[in-house]
Amino acid sequence: MKTFFVVFTKEIFSFMHSFMLVLVVLYSFTIDVYIAGSGIQLKPKNVVVGYVDNSGSGISEKILSHLHKPEFLPPKAFLSQKALSDAIFNKEVIVGIIFDSDFEKSYREGKNTTLNLLLDSTAASQSLTTLSYLQNIILSFEKLNIPIQIKSHKLFNQNADNHTFMGLSELLSVVTMLAIILTAIVFVKEKEDGTWDIMLLMPVDPKIIILAKSFSQVFIVMVGVVLSLGFVTFGAFDTPMNGSFWTFILLTFLYALSTAGIGLFVAAVSKSIMQVAQLSIIIIMPLIFLSGSWTPIYAMHPFFQYLSLISPLRYYIEGSESLFYRGTSFVDMLPYLSGVAIIGLIVYWLGFRKIGKLF
Amino acid sequence: MKKNIIKAYILKEFKELVRSRLILMVYLMPSMVMLLFGFGIKMDVSHARIIILDNDQSKFSLELASKFEHTKYFNTKYLHISENEALELIKQAKTDALLIIPASFEKNLLKGQKSELGVFVDTSFPVRGTTIESYIQGTIISAAQQISKTIGIKQTGLILINNRNLFNQALRDEDAIIPGLLGLVLLIAPAILTALLIVKEKEKGTIFNFYASPLRKSEFLLAKLFPAFLLHSVNIFIVLIWALYVFNVPFRGSFFLYWSTSELYILISTLIGMLISIITNRQIVAIVLTIILTLIPGFLYSGMLMPISSMDGASQIEAHIFPIMYYTHIMYDTFLIGQGLASDKIILYLAILIMYIFLLFGIGVNLLKKELKS
Repeated sequence: MKTFFVVFTKEIFSFMHSFMLVLVVLYSFTIDVYIAGSGIQLKPKNVVVGYVDNSGSGISEKILSHLHKPEFLPPKAFLSQKALSDAIFNKEVIVGIIFDSDFEKSYREGKNTTLNLLLDSTAASQSLTTLSYLQNIILSFEKLNIPIQIKSHKLFNQNADNHTFMGLSELLSVVTMLAIILTAIVFVKEKEDGTWDIMLLMPVDPKIIILAKSFSQVFIVMVGVVLSLGFVTFGAFDTPMNGSFWTFILLTFLYALSTAGIGLFVAAVSKSIMQVAQLSIIIIMPLIFLSGSWTPIYAMHPFFQYLSLISPLRYYIEGSESLFYRGTSFVDMLPYLSGVAIIGLIVYWLGFRKIGKLF
Repeated sequence: MKKNIIKAYILKEFKELVRSRLILMVYLMPSMVMLLFGFGIKMDVSHARIIILDNDQSKFSLELASKFEHTKYFNTKYLHISENEALELIKQAKTDALLIIPASFEKNLLKGQKSELGVFVDTSFPVRGTTIESYIQGTIISAAQQISKTIGIKQTGLILINNRNLFNQALRDEDAIIPGLLGLVLLIAPAILTALLIVKEKEKGTIFNFYASPLRKSEFLLAKLFPAFLLHSVNIFIVLIWALYVFNVPFRGSFFLYWSTSELYILISTLIGMLISIITNRQIVAIVLTIILTLIPGFLYSGMLMPISSMDGASQIEAHIFPIMYYTHIMYDTFLIGQGLASDKIILYLAILIMYIFLLFGIGVNLLKKELKS
């Protein structure tokens, strides 16, 4: 046990020793999460609308007045259709509306009229959502006579707020990246310097050394998570936490352990830090991708759906989302916890065995 | 005069890269990322799971519910449970949305009274949530129009929306994502390769060979950059093949523009990695810094997720600082629009990319030290 703590503190000290490394780790846990959370807005916001109004009427102005902040910037007027489409080609305008000259007249006469829309669909999701916004605006404008009222509720994230969501998934990605890379490098550094073989040959049980070394990195990551939660998630973004905080910490610990296992594995198969860098990227990107943080699992290709079953990040993200937004109770969290734990233990055990071998 | 030394250096770097089996990674990583993301990212919503609680079980309520069945947007499920039990199902993430038809739906309709439909949407995935919500509303409204026609309420003064989707008529996800993805892939892969080239020598101490050599700083950088640049240039064609033949993205611009811009861009990426390698003193710092500085701005400002024009003030400025924005603008043009050099904006962006090369190279030469720090 003493050996464990000696190696553990030695690793912590050698981490603290590199000022720049501490700085970079701190940066990724705080500012980086903040930038991702505050920068990424996936729903249409500040959409630039341009219009050509040939009808010169009150109706067109009324429709345009419905396009307001925060979803739309004040619509820009263009003199001709040519000028409007030029602006769309240069990506200065995303949606163009064209009011034909007989627009008002036929509307007043009670005939059906058409409204022409030009959408820049290189941003497919934006233009689709903008289209449905516009449809809703126009629907509310028409003299529709429908005996139905829709009462719509958004659950769990009432304002459909992107900050907290993107901030959270970024935090989880940072945990993944650092736990893998930090652990892998602690070992490969020794391999490169040739001191790892000596470590294994020493009269100390190598298992304890491996455990202590990997746990020290898990510890660093855990401290980072707590800092990030305190300053960014709860501080800057004010994310509500509907579930238990300690369950989240337990989940994070299990997850960090399993990614440390991946790190051990990477360390075992690579000979130089260069290889660690390349290998970890190759592992991290699919891991993050298959986790469901970019796109929900069931909307993926079936092949990826099966593949995602072995990604520990999948259980971690689903678990964290449930904890933060849905306030799931501890008992309902058990599948996520055991998912992370089982995959984590297997991966950790494999990496553990591989790195502990001398030849 | 020093041509031979530079040549020898380049040869040495080249051999080192090939020998460390990195060559596999250089070609494996970009293709893997392309395939994973290209096949995987689905921005539009389809097969959203919706549970319908039909408390009325009448002709009209069935007609309304059946509207949800025959589209690719929804996977419907009818359950006979209480409202609270259904909300519990949302809590456990077993469904995305819930539609509740009240018991007196048909009766109210025939009487001409308004009846209220309850819609609950899980928005912990905000974009998806709001999109699903608007799909549900659209479906209900179109069903309502039909129903009100059958019970004899007349509609007048309809405004039809005639929308033309420019550049990407079918609204394919692949077309919208792949050009942006190129910008991401060709940024990360070269940067991560060069990020270690100099810091590795610093950690090992072999950098002293350079201190003692007659090579100038700029020549040293060129010799380091060249092999990585050359190896990654092949990737320009590999990713193009994926884009055109696997994802069937149209290619409407000129090949020459694509090729030359991409070469410039790879040079920038390798320079970014090189710069990180110069300012750091440990390899691990260089790796983490490279990932943080390329991956996130890469995603944010590639135009894949959101158009630059609709960003907030601060993000707008940030987006203009990173080179990826200029590159992906040209990529979207060459793939989907095809204006090419006829547009002033593209010429301006090309000039900016060239400026980046000189700027980054200049900073690198200035920060690189050729003597021991005292």
